[in-house]
Amino acid sequence: MENLGSLAVLLAFCLGVYAFLASLLGGWKNRPFLVASAERSVLAIWFLLTLPSAILVTALLTGDFRLAYVAAHSNRAMPALYKFAAWWGGQEGSLLFWSWLLSCYAAVVVLTNRRKHRRIMPFVTATLMATQVFFLILNAFVASPFQVLAVGREVTAVPDGRGLNPLLQYWAMAMHPPTLYLGYVGFAVPFAFAMGSLITREPGDAWIHTTRRWTIVTWLFQSCGILLGAGWAYAVLGWGGYWAWDPVENASLLPWLTATAFLHSVMMQEKKGMMKVWNMVLVSATFWLCIFGTFLTRSGVVSSVHAFAQSPIGKYFVVFLGIIFAVAAYLILDRLDYLKSEARLESVISRESSFLFNNLILVASCFAVLWGTLFPVISEAVTGEKISVDAPFFNRVNVPIGLFLLFLTGVGPLFAWRRTSLEGLRRNFLWPSVAGLALIAVLLVLGVRHFYALVCFGLCLFVAWTIVAEFYKGARAIRARTGQNWIAATVELTHRNTRRYGGYVVHMGIVFMFLGFAGAAFNKHSTVEVRMGDTFRIGRYDLRVLDLREGDNENYTWQHAVIEVRHNGRPAGTLEPERRFYKSSEQATSEVAIRRRLNEDLYLNYAGLSNEDPSKAVIQAYVFPLVSWIWIGSATLIFGSLICLIPSKVRREYPRTQVVGVAERYAAVKN
Amino acid sequence: MRRLKTSALVVLLAAAALSQTASQLQSDAVRRVGVHLACLCGTCKNTVADCPMLECHFAKPARVRIASLLAQGKSDTEIIEIFVKEYGKQVLAVPPAEGFNLLAWTMPFVAIAAGLMLIWVFIQRFRKPPTAPSAVPDETLSRYRDEIEKDLARLD
Repeated sequence: MENLGSLAVLLAFCLGVYAFLASLLGGWKNRPFLVASAERSVLAIWFLLTLPSAILVTALLTGDFRLAYVAAHSNRAMPALYKFAAWWGGQEGSLLFWSWLLSCYAAVVVLTNRRKHRRIMPFVTATLMATQVFFLILNAFVASPFQVLAVGREVTAVPDGRGLNPLLQYWAMAMHPPTLYLGYVGFAVPFAFAMGSLITREPGDAWIHTTRRWTIVTWLFQSCGILLGAGWAYAVLGWGGYWAWDPVENASLLPWLTATAFLHSVMMQEKKGMMKVWNMVLVSATFWLCIFGTFLTRSGVVSSVHAFAQSPIGKYFVVFLGIIFAVAAYLILDRLDYLKSEARLESVISRESSFLFNNLILVASCFAVLWGTLFPVISEAVTGEKISVDAPFFNRVNVPIGLFLLFLTGVGPLFAWRRTSLEGLRRNFLWPSVAGLALIAVLLVLGVRHFYALVCFGLCLFVAWTIVAEFYKGARAIRARTGQNWIAATVELTHRNTRRYGGYVVHMGIVFMFLGFAGAAFNKHSTVEVRMGDTFRIGRYDLRVLDLREGDNENYTWQHAVIEVRHNGRPAGTLEPERRFYKSSEQATSEVAIRRRLNEDLYLNYAGLSNEDPSKAVIQAYVFPLVSWIWIGSATLIFGSLICLIPSKVRREYPRTQVVGVAERYAAVKN
Repeated sequence: MRRLKTSALVVLLAAAALSQTASQLQSDAVRRVGVHLACLCGTCKNTVADCPMLECHFAKPARVRIASLLAQGKSDTEIIEIFVKEYGKQVLAVPPAEGFNLLAWTMPFVAIAAGLMLIWVFIQRFRKPPTAPSAVPDETLSRYRDEIEKDLARLD
């Protein structure tokens, strides 16, 4: 079977090269037959990649330990879900998964555009296929998932595989890579349409309209992927963190930031025909960063917890990244005339300019994260001295940037298009600002002294107020006309312009998340060594160790604590943290116990037996204020993005303000 | 002889520190110094104060050492210098703000400044040009204006 799989990958590679060349030639020389045959090749490639994927998954599920990949990433004891997840658990499999996802996207693009965009489609196909060929080169020649274990010339099988790292055997972790990949890979589509429209100098914004939904979907996947990773780290790793500024985490954040900037600046092009060059730059940068992220994860350029085993794969990525950069830069520079802006900025205080600032801050934070991630490498190359750029650096640089972004989240949507009067500003911002400042004052009186946290809480209320006010004003107007109740009026309002109000809901999700981030300023931590019957205290919690047990089963040994919790003196149930040591992988894991509440989480981790006195257990206790709001915010963000995807009830056309150039006018005067 | 005495004292203090429990190693004083030092265990990106691994082969001995140096009456900066002497600048959690490494801190903000300038240029270039003197005679214009006013009045 593995030979069939390898053969299918090879055939897919050949077809990929053909599809690339045929669509390019067909588009250039205007040969519909070539274009059609290239598009059919795209569908065939999907089939040719589904086959090896199915073979690999079957091998993982049935435990075909002749395959090196299966032996390294699966074992007999693993539940079927994680055997399946082992498809993307290692280097070779995940690259095949990447390829397969891209072929799915390419097939969907071809099928949905059979009668549309005929002029740019050949080049869209060509761009997608170029990417596909790159990954197929890796699948076929560099990191084949179908290598068999052999002694001499004889294929052998190991009795059992090494299995997936037990830390990763958690539902959110099984979901995290595929959602992230769906986001990464998905951005190839907007990029391909952008390139197609650049190559053909397609007039108008067809590519923007076509890829609008793609962009939101892939952005949603990227967000989900990042948030699942954060949720997993919080619930599984035993230290209560959700973000550690690890290079690979940063790599997933970079394209998300530029994609977010793109989602905003695209509105400028749709409504006003402005910022066309910038949008091209953003969409290319996002795609480039998606590939770059994959490169960072796999090449071992920077050290990271997440990194796959080091491999020679890095240089292939460097070449591909160079090609993307060169092609995108050439096309954009060569076609600047076609990307000319159709409208002018009418006032500095306007929605247009607020988008400029929003984009600046998003791209700047992207740059700051990229810079911090790569700085150790750069610095070592220049000065020859190794340095560290750890979490404190990123926090110090990005917290102020993030807070400014939060501020813009509140301000931007309330600026009117074209120009905003001072009276309008006062009307919109007076009460939210008063509320935000009042909150800061109250918190100061209550004894909160953390500067950034204070600013963050104030801004959260400010932004939340502006968003609620927008819904309130709109719903009131609808109520006045139709007499519906508030809920029906709000739904009606949202349905009329789903992107606008869905966007507000997403903003609300961001506000909730910032609330959760700010809570981290007040984290409490205590590590204690306890025997049965001991009591200890953290924050408002009195904890008593009721029981300490140990045990053993065929999969792992375990140590278990039962801890009684009293909150403000009142009984609040028990928490049972556990520590496991998996035998086959020789890996320890924590089953943390969390008492989740809206105001704070109590988080207990059984860290092990004390080295000094083995009759004592080491318990790490944490109180994390407001952390639940991050997960509430995530859910809100997802809900808001889904609203954006529902078609609006009222179809909107955006008539463009025509530019009447000065020269023409003077000419008219003269005549 | 004096050196021998000092090193004996250090060993003694270190031994005392080693026998400290995990909870004592997480004292506020140790944390205060530990947040400036990177955990060089090779997997995490945390500081010595925040490394979550109980038996981390770097963070734990580092904490013991900080505790013993503090017990000797060393100041925070002295302790950090001792670590830098041993492990190089890599042991600092953030790049020191000097020489080339200053760039690490300044570049993000330089980028923002550059971006602001770009926006400024953009606004200057794409500002709507001031309306040229109208070629339409004033009386025609005022006739239209009156009409608009009338229409608006009717709307109310």
